[in-house]
This record gives sequence, C-alpha cells and structure tokens, in this order.
Amino acid sequence: MKRGKIIKSVIIIAVAGIIIAGAVGLYMFNMPHRNVQKANAVYNLTSSQIVTEYLTDKELANKKYLSGDGDSKVLKISGVVNRISEDFNGQKVVLLKGADDKAGVSASFTKETNPNAAKLKVGEAVTIKGVIRSGASFDKDLALYENVILEKSDVATK
Amino acid sequence: MEKLSSLTIILALFVTFSAGAQTSGKVVSTKTHIKFFSATPAENIEANNNTAVGTINKETGEVVFSVPMQGFEFEKALMQKHFNSDNFLDTKSFPKAKLIGKITNLDKVNFTKDGTYEAIVQGDMTIKGVTKPIDEKGTVVVKGNMVEVQSKFNLTLADYGITFVKGKPSSNIAKSVEVTIHSELQAQ
Repeated sequence: MKRGKIIKSVIIIAVAGIIIAGAVGLYMFNMPHRNVQKANAVYNLTSSQIVTEYLTDKELANKKYLSGDGDSKVLKISGVVNRISEDFNGQKVVLLKGADDKAGVSASFTKETNPNAAKLKVGEAVTIKGVIRSGASFDKDLALYENVILEKSDVATK
Repeated sequence: MEKLSSLTIILALFVTFSAGAQTSGKVVSTKTHIKFFSATPAENIEANNNTAVGTINKETGEVVFSVPMQGFEFEKALMQKHFNSDNFLDTKSFPKAKLIGKITNLDKVNFTKDGTYEAIVQGDMTIKGVTKPIDEKGTVVVKGNMVEVQSKFNLTLADYGITFVKGKPSSNIAKSVEVTIHSELQAQ
C-alpha cells in the first residue's frame, strides 16, 4: 500500500513537471517581442551628444548601447527634424540632426506610431523614443557618415 | 567685349559641370529592404531589415551596402534572440555586415537612360568578420534621377563560420539562405 502511494505521488509530480516544462517551452517559443514604447528609456540625450559619443569611440559606445540578444537600449533622443521619409514597409523615418553635426539619428516609426511622425515638420525640435540598432560612424567604403539607427520609435511625451 | 567672353567662359564651365554632375558621381539609398529566407522541413524562417544603407558609383560601378545586423526582425522573438546571440551571429561584436562590389558589365548599364538593365556584381561579402567573394546578378532600373536595384541570391552560412554547436538552431536553419535585396537610390 505504502509503495503504491509513493509510486502514485512520483507519477503525479513527474506529469506536473512535464506539463510545467511544456508550458514554459510553449511560452518561450511564442514569447512576445519587447514593447519598446512601454519600456523605460535608459538614456536621455541629444542627437549631437550620441553622434559625438560614437564618433569619438565606436567600440565603447557599442558596449554601452547594444545588447547581445538584440534587445538593445531604449533611448530618448532630442533634436531638430532634418528630414522625413518612408521605408519600404510604409514606416516613417525621421532624421534628427544638428546643423553642424556630421551625422544624425535616424528613427523608424511603426504603422501604429506613423501618425505622430506625420505631424512633424522639418526644422521642428522634438524628442523621440526608440530602440537603438546601430551607431554612427564614418564608413570609408560608403565614403559617408552613417547615422545612429533607432527603430520602433514614437514621439516622446515628456 | 572682354567682359562678354569671360561671362561666356564662366557660363560654359557652369553648364559643363552641371551636365557632368548628372551622369557622374554617387547615388545613395533612400530606402533599402533586405530579407533572408530559410526553408527547412521543421519551419520556414524569415527575417526583414529596413535599416541598411547603400551607394552606387555610376562612373566606376562600385556598389557598397552596409547592413545593421540588429535591424533584422523575425516574427518570433525567441528566434530573433538566437539570431543575435554570440552562439550565432554575435551582433553585439559584429554589428554590421557589408557588401563591397563592382558592376562588372558597366557598359551594359546605362545610368543616363531610363530602362531596365541586368547587372553582374562581383565583390566581397563580410558577415561576422569573415569575408568571402560573391558573384551575383541583379536588376538595375533607371528612372529619371532614381536608381532601383533588386537582387536575389543564396548564401551558405558555413562559409562565414556560422555553424551550430548546440541548441535548437541546428535542425531548423537550412545550410543555405536566400537573400533578397531591394533598394532605391538617388543622388544626394
């Protein structure tokens, strides 16, 4: 009788374990993407400041802003709108760039946040929140300055 | 009389330089979409990137594309994490992939005349710090001052040292992935 009870308990625990493991596995597999706009911005700076940081020491800046799993830092960048364009996904792309700066911050919006980008005008001062994908640098092969790239952006309400 | 001839010279020079500027020089991308697709029995994997930047030198045929690796977006967040991780593409250490090539049949691509041209691009592709030669075809569409390029080609991941030591990726990702690139470029 006692042995029977023990076996029964072990089976129940084992089955429970398998169900929990399965649930965790299923959650991981269907894990949602991080909601960038709901996350807190880790750094708040101007487009000039982050561009200067990158042009001064790219390696150091990448260590600071990029994450190994791709969920890099969420930033709030303030600057002046230099250009508004659109990518192949119909997402608005807003370039913030200081008049004397060699590069700027290019922020791609989403289908949901596009209307806020559409309200912006060239020359306007604005703060944008988004996740960084890559930093600014002078690329000798392109012979161009590359901008800091943000995605999943929206106009930040201070 | 002297003043008139100086003015004529200045005007002639101005016209020459303006005309020259139309055909010579670089076009820079205004939007670029790169997709890679891998079909396996287990599941299809697709990632899209809208953050790449490219240039084409219409005179020399030089083509350069710089691709921020963290810009690749997957439907499944877990897949995106694996892609970026140091087991796989290690995008924090190697944040950009790059294509540096040249249109080898430049005589067949007329940047001054609207039309569709088939271009052969030869050069180097660098992914995760490893550089390998590439030789692929693409389509160049010239429309006024806009140049549109499209190409589809395969990349073998193992060539770039991208292999699978442990974990889920090994059975799910095909040895060769199909890359599609679509870019619109204009003179800056």
